[in-house]
Amino acid sequence: MSNTEEKLLLDLLVMQSTQAMSDEESRELERLLKLYPEYQNYEFDQIASLTHMSYHLNDRLSNEALPLDLKNKILNSHKKVDLVILFRTKMNDFMRSLFYKPTYAWAVTVLLTIGLSFSMIEFKNYENNFRYLPLKRVVLQSTSNDLVEYPWYSKTSDFALTKGDIVWSNESQKGFIKISGMPVNDPSKNQYQIWIIDPIKYKQPVDGGVFNITDAGRDIIIPINPKLPISNAKGFAITIEQPGGVVVSSQELILTAPEIRPRNTFTL
Amino acid sequence: METVAINNFIHSSKTMPQSKKIKKVEDSILFSLSKEEPGSFEKLVDQYGNLIWSIARRYLSNQTEAEDAVQEVFIAIWKSAGRFDPAKASEVTFISMIARRRLIDHVRKIYRHKKLEPIDDCFNDDALETKSMLEESGDVKIISEAINQFEKEDKELLSLSIYQGYSHTEIAKLMNIPLGTVKTKIRRNLIKLREIYDQDQHSIVNISHE
Repeated sequence: MSNTEEKLLLDLLVMQSTQAMSDEESRELERLLKLYPEYQNYEFDQIASLTHMSYHLNDRLSNEALPLDLKNKILNSHKKVDLVILFRTKMNDFMRSLFYKPTYAWAVTVLLTIGLSFSMIEFKNYENNFRYLPLKRVVLQSTSNDLVEYPWYSKTSDFALTKGDIVWSNESQKGFIKISGMPVNDPSKNQYQIWIIDPIKYKQPVDGGVFNITDAGRDIIIPINPKLPISNAKGFAITIEQPGGVVVSSQELILTAPEIRPRNTFTL
Repeated sequence: METVAINNFIHSSKTMPQSKKIKKVEDSILFSLSKEEPGSFEKLVDQYGNLIWSIARRYLSNQTEAEDAVQEVFIAIWKSAGRFDPAKASEVTFISMIARRRLIDHVRKIYRHKKLEPIDDCFNDDALETKSMLEESGDVKIISEAINQFEKEDKELLSLSIYQGYSHTEIAKLMNIPLGTVKTKIRRNLIKLREIYDQDQHSIVNISHE
């Protein structure tokens, strides 16, 4: 054990409890503490604090009081914490009293089980339930980094009153059509079919699923279900096809949603 | 000679006795604070606010910096309240240890030093309550008596380093003495104080065991 190193360690320990140390000094202290485990970090803290208080006690000039505005600031900022604590305490008391009687405990357990079951059913149906489509569209809009959003243009005057847009993310392979004013179709005779144009990867437009319009008056949201993985969607289109849709369409495009509005199209 | 002092220091620090002056932890503000009892934080600020402010003023000359640091200190105390053990240190010592450690860290961050600037509203009769609280502390009294026995220069060195927050280098310049001498004297005197304090604690424990 080197006496010089040990003295250095003691000096550093004293410095640690009395003044700001440089990074180099802190590293050296750390190194020496490993070499001399009989010493502890902050070894001199207690005696330095007692010494400080002793000098403070005997300093006639030192009658400093915490400034009132600072005191109020500290207390006010803590009041918010106190409120949270109070709420938590009250809730704990409430829960304790609730579970104190076995009858209450059973009643709460049954209610929680029912609630949980409903939540599970809702969660299970989340992907298929049309009620969540507006929410899913918003989620996609707010979470996608590569989102594209194009309006629909009508290729024929029959669909000139149709309006809406499309949102799509290549990254998540998800998208939604929002549309209103589209004529009602008879599903036994025909269905609307969505097409995704990805010219780099596919020569033909990719099938994006079929849908029906039952009420022309209101906004509807339809999820796009690409049958093939899309690398870079450059545009979207809608045709009217036989029920169930087709693989390659020979029908006229009734609505298109490209990056730039095409010539000879209708829009509101 | 110094080797003996170092060995004594190590020995005394390893056999830190438990004081008979230990109060029940349940009686302390820090215990109430750790149990999140309503009003305990207000009590803490009332009782120790002046002391913490006074420590902060020794380390930080700028009022805004001192205010920010004091707020940090209170948060640190609040978070550490559960670690308070009256067998190891009294409540006031524990609090001033946290305050000093935080303030030294704060100074390290801003890395510049102070000359005490007067603040308009910093003198107040309430501060006397802090002093009476310290007067009641037997631990502080032991240290005060021991320091009174020191040479004038040693007292001054300790005051500049521990009370007024000057670095060893600053003290060497202020007092025009070599840096090595400053370090050695402060180290020796702190070790001496530590030994006196530990001896006192030992004797208290021995009396209580008789």
